[in-house]
Amino acid sequence: MNIKILDSWLKEYLETKATAQEIAKELSLTSVSIERVEPYKNDWTYDIEITTNRPDLASVNGLAREAGAVLPQNGIKATYKPLQLKFSSSDTASGGGIEKRTGFSTSLEQDNKAKLDIQVNTKFVNRICAVVMDVQIAKSPEQIKDRLESSDIRSINNLIDITNYVMRVTGQPTHVFDYDRLGSDKLIIREAKKDEEITTLDNKTYKLLGGEIVAENAKGEIVDLLAIMGLANSVVTEKTKRIVFFVNNIDSSKVRKASMELGIRTQAAQLNEKHLDPNLCETALQYGIQLYEQLAHGKIVSQIIDIYPNKLTEKQVKVNLQKINSVIGVEVPKQQSVDILKKLGFGVESDDPRHAELVSASAVIPAQAGIQKRKSWILNQVQDDKLSVQNDNLYLLVTVPTIRAYDINLQEDIIEEIARIYGYHNLPSKLPLLNTIQTQQQGKNQYYWEQKSKNALKYWGFTEVYTYSMVPENLYEGPLDKAVTIANPLNEEFVYMRKTLVPSLLQVLSENKSFESVKIFEIANVYNKRENKLPEEVRMLAGVIRQPQISFFTVKGYVEQLLKDLGITAVSFKPTDQGGNGASIYISKQYLGEIEILDPNLINFELNFELLIKHASLKKTYIPAAKFPPILEDISLIAPAEVLTEDLIKEISKQNPLISEVTFLDRYENTRTFHVVYQDRTKNLTTEEVKHIHSAILQSLHKKWGIKEKN
Amino acid sequence: MEEELIRIKNNAISLILEAKSQKELEDLKLQFLGRSGHLTQLSKNMKHVPDEKKVEVGRLFNQTKQILEDTIDQATKSLKTQHKKAQKINLDVTDPAILPPLGNLHPVTQVIEEISNIFERIGFTRERYPEIDYDWFAFEALNFPENHPARDDWETFFIKQTPDPKYGPVILTPHTSNGQIREMLSKQLPIKMLNIAKCYRRQSDVSHTPMFHQFETLVVGKDISIVDLRGTLDYFVKSYFGENRKTRIRPYHFQFTEPSFEVDISCGVCDGQGCKLCKAGWLELGGAGMVHPNVLKACNIDPEKYSGFASGFGIERVLMMREGIEIDDLRTLYANRLEFLEQF
Repeated sequence: MNIKILDSWLKEYLETKATAQEIAKELSLTSVSIERVEPYKNDWTYDIEITTNRPDLASVNGLAREAGAVLPQNGIKATYKPLQLKFSSSDTASGGGIEKRTGFSTSLEQDNKAKLDIQVNTKFVNRICAVVMDVQIAKSPEQIKDRLESSDIRSINNLIDITNYVMRVTGQPTHVFDYDRLGSDKLIIREAKKDEEITTLDNKTYKLLGGEIVAENAKGEIVDLLAIMGLANSVVTEKTKRIVFFVNNIDSSKVRKASMELGIRTQAAQLNEKHLDPNLCETALQYGIQLYEQLAHGKIVSQIIDIYPNKLTEKQVKVNLQKINSVIGVEVPKQQSVDILKKLGFGVESDDPRHAELVSASAVIPAQAGIQKRKSWILNQVQDDKLSVQNDNLYLLVTVPTIRAYDINLQEDIIEEIARIYGYHNLPSKLPLLNTIQTQQQGKNQYYWEQKSKNALKYWGFTEVYTYSMVPENLYEGPLDKAVTIANPLNEEFVYMRKTLVPSLLQVLSENKSFESVKIFEIANVYNKRENKLPEEVRMLAGVIRQPQISFFTVKGYVEQLLKDLGITAVSFKPTDQGGNGASIYISKQYLGEIEILDPNLINFELNFELLIKHASLKKTYIPAAKFPPILEDISLIAPAEVLTEDLIKEISKQNPLISEVTFLDRYENTRTFHVVYQDRTKNLTTEEVKHIHSAILQSLHKKWGIKEKN
Repeated sequence: MEEELIRIKNNAISLILEAKSQKELEDLKLQFLGRSGHLTQLSKNMKHVPDEKKVEVGRLFNQTKQILEDTIDQATKSLKTQHKKAQKINLDVTDPAILPPLGNLHPVTQVIEEISNIFERIGFTRERYPEIDYDWFAFEALNFPENHPARDDWETFFIKQTPDPKYGPVILTPHTSNGQIREMLSKQLPIKMLNIAKCYRRQSDVSHTPMFHQFETLVVGKDISIVDLRGTLDYFVKSYFGENRKTRIRPYHFQFTEPSFEVDISCGVCDGQGCKLCKAGWLELGGAGMVHPNVLKACNIDPEKYSGFASGFGIERVLMMREGIEIDDLRTLYANRLEFLEQF
């Protein structure tokens, strides 16, 4: 989420001469991304991208605290001035709760008119603070209006503006009800049932899905959708005289679920779904009361309610000093680490007796962090660590302020705090050591073969396409119940994980109708379903050629030359047994794929690319040129059509080892002509010898197929 | 005899190559190959050659004769062409060429090849892991909490299949980071991996396609630090985008890294000064971070002894960030219009 804050507002809590641009730059590098600084009247607004783990920075106060730690580290003077409350939370940090505070209770005893009883379910309510006040509705002062409107929050009246103002300063969303419109002095916080209806304060009606957290009055009417948005039936109006100022902290995952499902993405929802510190409720309540007193002639007329069933306990994290240096990659002086953590509100203790003076955590923690040390726990830890102390393997014991309770859990989280404030830009840059690199033979590198194949096709005029792995029903080949199927498809275009590539390529052709001649190819995975296992992923190479009167042999040529270029021998083409016209291709006995003639102008091929790579080889054999001349001969044979050319060549070749090469020359009606090379590498061949072999060839062909030589 | 043959051959060749006219060549032919030429004369000495050497000398003799004939032929031809050169022929060199076939590789392939080459130079080994994987590899072992939004069916595609009792549901991987887990579980340390693969997310608009590509780096070993990550990112950015581009890392949040970073590069259009296309001089490249100790633990690696970094960037994103390539709708990349593909 992004929020906007005025520079002058930030500087109410940050003493510095730094410009808005300087502050933005430093915060972006070390803390939170300030995407833009834009002029607003005579001021600047920061446009801040809040990462989900740092809701504490979605507030003027939080941002000032952070800037107070960041700027001095980079040589810019700056001091954080924490939000001043009439009653500092350190008074109550011992766990008293607000209602016991002397200042409030005295005023209440004199003037305790209104009652409010709130019943909660502790399963999903962490804390609720509330108070009833007498108020006078009015317009807000210009400064409040400006600050809200520069924050993209519409100014309405002082009663509502204060809730938003408190949210922006503290980071804690707050709400205001008209006390007299609530319809009772009792609120029950419960989960909504399915199909209950509510009308939000912007007059939109929603049917609830069940599980949303709502407040119900004594009459059983829902009067609030907690943590997300107020309702029309209890919102303040021009006639409001008494308000309930209401602050809550409830189960954040329930907030997210409800907000997403209902599609109500208010700033309150976006903050409340991010695990806020329940201690902020108290700060927000106090600050709100203060503002109602100042801006709306507010007077407290009830008990101050503070229901806090799920108290957040502080935690400590043990950080190995050595680890800090090894993760960051440079030596960070211990004192610097300690200073950084303290400025960010952490308590730090060292278990090293030589640095006992560092133990002074509470003094530097901002008031609202409310840190309580748990002595016994620390003692145990120190004892456990005695051994490591002796080994000079020193630790810091870091107390996490409650504002960071959900974000900081491990030593690595603390190291991040130190590293980022130390400044990533202050770190050197070097490549990781190369002394242990995996070896890899070129011939076994699938990526080498893949790139080589793609380049070959490219230089034969093919254009490579990338089509989606998911296909609609009409592009899926095979029985659908055996398909790898997406359970939650985005739409009907992307439902099945494809089993073949060709249908997708044909689809591409149909979308490029204006091109008469097209050659395209793709290398991608296909997916085969397997029982109780992940689907099998097989890399395939497929191509489609659309060209008027395209010859099967042209396409066979692409396949054959590609295989040759990859060093694959023992390739054979057989009449297809897949039905239709075309050829099945084999390497040795293994099935590699198909060439398929779809119509006279359209031929495709699809090969198992993994099998292809398995047989690919860089091996070359050199045979020195023959020293004796060969004898060449063309033999024309009258052969029945059903005898395959490949079989004829095989039969001729095997007649004598002196036959070094047999190639097919041409075919005319029932006559096929072959070119035969006779070669003896040890001596000159005589015509006599050749004649002998020639007749052996004819004899065997005749015997096998009744073939005769054409005269 | 053999020596004499070689001497004659060398002598003849040098004379042939120096010949300036047809007449000269004809004379040389007579001089060496003619009835009373040097070679013919020499052949009369064959009878003095011992029997056992006769075959070999005979072959050498024939070879020499052949070479001289060929050389004279070639010299004759080349004299003729020289002669031709002088004559002007009618040729418009601006007429269209007869082109050899030339297709196109998809821009995604081109980027992948370039990135692979860059990382190979600094010792990374490219790997490939399943595109369809169990939740455990894509989320659980990567330290995603159970209710994390990425794990719900609004963001990630699920496959209709009974979940594995140990590894959970089968999904289309929404990132290449499942490769981190599979790499660490199957390889010895130290690791320097580059994993490039297809990924899938339930999004389709001008800046998202439901299928896209990521490239992921993972380095795990002793004392791997943020400094190593910075070095690797700098090397990549300068190699891919250009020497004058700068890199910076900023704090960010990811489940499987701690600390986590957002990586920015200086804007190439305004050279880091700030312009309409960038954020104050910087462009976001993607995410990176130090491997989270929980992730190392899930892969049986002791986070006290070892550390690592990882980064994951979109192939499409680094493609679009190249200057001169402004594709207003990312889906164009997978629409496969030839008018588009032929420009790459």
